[in-house]
Amino acid sequence: MAVYKRGYQRYQGPRTSHLSRIMVMPRFSWQRLMGMKITIVVLAVSMVWPLMCAAFIYVANHAELWQGMGGDMVRFLNINGRFFEVFMNTQAVFAMILAAVAGPGLIAPDLANNALPLYFSRPLTRGDYIISRLLVLLGMLSLVTMIPALLLFVMQVGLAGWGWLADHWIYAWGVFGGFALWIAIVSLVAMACSAYVKWRVIAGALVLAFFTILAGAASIMNAVFRVDWGRAVNPALAMNQIWRSMLDMEPLEGPGAWACSMVLVLMGLTLLAALTRKLRPVEVVK
Amino acid sequence: MPAVIDIDQLSVKLGRREILHSISCRLGASGEGKAIGLLGPNGAGKSTLIQTLLGFHLPSAGRASILGFDCHKQSREVKARIGYMPETDSFIANMTAVAFLRLMGEISGLPAEAALEKAHETLFHVGLGEARYRTIGTYSLGMKQMAKLAQAIIHGPELVILDEPTNGLDPAARKRMLKLIREMKESHRMNVILCSHLLRDVEETCDEVVILKDGVVVHQSDLEAERKMNRRFVELEVQGDDSSLAQALAGAGASGVCEGGGRWRIVLPADVEIGQLWQVAASERLLVRKLSHRRDSLEEIFLKAVGHLRATPGEAGQAKTEVTVNGRL
Repeated sequence: MAVYKRGYQRYQGPRTSHLSRIMVMPRFSWQRLMGMKITIVVLAVSMVWPLMCAAFIYVANHAELWQGMGGDMVRFLNINGRFFEVFMNTQAVFAMILAAVAGPGLIAPDLANNALPLYFSRPLTRGDYIISRLLVLLGMLSLVTMIPALLLFVMQVGLAGWGWLADHWIYAWGVFGGFALWIAIVSLVAMACSAYVKWRVIAGALVLAFFTILAGAASIMNAVFRVDWGRAVNPALAMNQIWRSMLDMEPLEGPGAWACSMVLVLMGLTLLAALTRKLRPVEVVK
Repeated sequence: MPAVIDIDQLSVKLGRREILHSISCRLGASGEGKAIGLLGPNGAGKSTLIQTLLGFHLPSAGRASILGFDCHKQSREVKARIGYMPETDSFIANMTAVAFLRLMGEISGLPAEAALEKAHETLFHVGLGEARYRTIGTYSLGMKQMAKLAQAIIHGPELVILDEPTNGLDPAARKRMLKLIREMKESHRMNVILCSHLLRDVEETCDEVVILKDGVVVHQSDLEAERKMNRRFVELEVQGDDSSLAQALAGAGASGVCEGGGRWRIVLPADVEIGQLWQVAASERLLVRKLSHRRDSLEEIFLKAVGHLRATPGEAGQAKTEVTVNGRL
């Protein structure tokens, strides 16, 4: 029967699980983001570097292609921690840009249109809401970070054999864990900016400014106090130190991976607290 | 069967201010399909009460439960059973009405296909069928109100909380909204809480009413019972010599008070029918110019509850019968 002839009836059928309800918002958000040209452009551009790295792995595993070249070239064409570190540094920048593009559209419209009471009057807590919004960015940023990194790792294993995997499995853990941390920090920054700034363009700029300003602040602290622990305040440098540790590389000078991890965890918790504070179904004038 | 709303010594503080002061009431005790009106002047605590029932505020003391579930401790069970239409604009502006309702349906626990089907069905039900593919941001105020109602009922809740549903509606749209509310309780057996400043809306749709003032319940009544009771009060206006009407009425088992100018206020006992008044008037050779039920309108009940009226006319009428002699004041 045509819907306009049927009339309204109360729904009495089965209900979905709580987890499915949490996944509804990411699904709708992904659909919306994939319909935006700018998201597609950033995604496409961020795939260039992984493709170049894939070509590099292919060349590195085909000795016949570079036979006769000098020792420097042989050392260069080596798939090691340095290779993955360079890959991660580059893709981390694209992840940041993608977060600046996709992040502001997640929470700001809900706040601007007063949609939070509609969500929170349903079986959805503030925690569920944050998780569902984090999942949007987690999925989106994984496309340019974890997934290509792990594909490159699998490609290398495929070309170099199981022996290489046995010796270098730590790189898989390094790219997965390292990118997971970076995605978490970048996503929280993007969501916090989205929650506090209603204008999407300004919120996006603020995401990029957050990292730039902290990098500048870290340099100033180091210069003024003649110390090197200021590096831990720079999220990019702190993250790089953690990645080097996870990829079994020599640490850079300055605070160690654990100290950097602590600073980033503290930063993440602060962002989460700021976000939670803002996400209220009703404004309370005390 | 648990009451729709059961509030026991509930206090709510926002910051240091106590908004609700130890209120208690039990509403909709007789089961499903009940409409409860929530009234009160501005700042009485109506919205705070609704938001506390929705779990948005934590009670500082006491408890509140909806359909037998504690609003704070069993928040998820409560929210699975209710639909909420906020007073202010609440939607996602750049979504079409269908997509918006589908999202809301799915978050409420409807499977994707059912949510899409119900989204179309509900939009036709509230009169937005032809505009369902337009983004909500382009809707008029009246259409937005209907879209808000649609998102509140898409999942077929047991209780629908409506905060000022007729705000900003033209008379035709208001009539339609009230009709939908009546249908919700009568045809679909949903319970409704209607918070409104428009007493007439509450009077037309609700079975029970609670009046709040300064964070306390100042009046709670069963409107249906009041309506039945009011049927016993009759206003009669006659032309002719009515000097012996009081005795004639007493002979018929009723008692009446003359207010002068042929106007009478009569109280009918349960066993006296209104038709007998015509017979009494005919026997007294009086010309009946007006015969109507006296009723305490909700406005009078409200004004009395908030302290702007000492007694409702019905109560005044009852009091007068006790102090009259021979039907004269």
